Amino acid sequence: MHSETMILKHPLSVRIFHYLLIASFLPLAVTGLALYFKPFAEADMNLLMQIHIVAGIILSLDAVAFFLIGFERVILFIKRMFAISINDVKWFSVLGGYPQKFLFKKKVPVPPMGKYNSGQKLFGICVLIGGAILIGTGWILWAFPHNLPRAAVAFFGNLHTFFGLLLTLFLPVHLFLGIYMFDDFKAMIMNGKIPYPEAKTMAPLWVEREIMPLK
Amino acid sequence: MENKEYQYAESPFNVSRRQFITIGGIVVALLAIPIVWVKYLATSRNDYILARTKGLYRDDEKAKIRVSHANPAVAQYYKDFGGKPLGGLSEELLHTKYINRTKGLS
Repeated sequence: MHSETMILKHPLSVRIFHYLLIASFLPLAVTGLALYFKPFAEADMNLLMQIHIVAGIILSLDAVAFFLIGFERVILFIKRMFAISINDVKWFSVLGGYPQKFLFKKKVPVPPMGKYNSGQKLFGICVLIGGAILIGTGWILWAFPHNLPRAAVAFFGNLHTFFGLLLTLFLPVHLFLGIYMFDDFKAMIMNGKIPYPEAKTMAPLWVEREIMPLK
Repeated sequence: MENKEYQYAESPFNVSRRQFITIGGIVVALLAIPIVWVKYLATSRNDYILARTKGLYRDDEKAKIRVSHANPAVAQYYKDFGGKPLGGLSEELLHTKYINRTKGLS
């Protein structure tokens, strides 16, 4: 009976934002790497550039729409990302217990976490800041390169490359841990719901402080 | 309908009004500052172009000789040596041909 109790973790608006994020960022990362390393002939590179631009426009529209429509969720997300405490230091000191679990099959005590653990918070901060910079610099590089001084455009290009590579490096880790925590994966990809006991184990502070029963 | 599928949800009061205004204000300011900076870069670049254009017009207005055919030295050249404008000798002496010099640069 208790195992059937569910919590709505990711509302539909968040899931739609995330679907579009997946649909746009995955092609952006792949084409971005190809554009950086230039392994193909000129015609193929041009095609990849076109795909990169279209995916970038989708990502921009997704981000702007969510920012405007779901502004209160953006605020909530930022509040959670920057709610840093001593628990985060303790979490990073054992890296969430994941290396011990994967390498030595050993379970170490992990400090209680909120909706997002410390690693997810770090990733969230990088996505928030890096994503905003990538969108801004991407539009400048594509749409307005001749309206700015050459040195500024070169600087924005380097910034775009740096944050693009940073978030692309984060991507496999995010995908692996996202799928590893399968209940959370299902919540984000499918129905938005997570079993109460799972949430109580993974995010006890979230359940204790932010969750309420529905009437 | 959807409520029957879950029994718990996040409290709608997770962000207080004060927090909403503070965080929202910071977010809007952090987005506005780069936009203003980029706008400043674009307009200051235009300032250079406009200043250069203004300088060229000012030089032009100040110049005593503003067209080549009113230049006495050019007129003297054609009178004493070159013959007619666009004539064979002038073409040979004054016109140039395109040579790709970029190969030597790399």
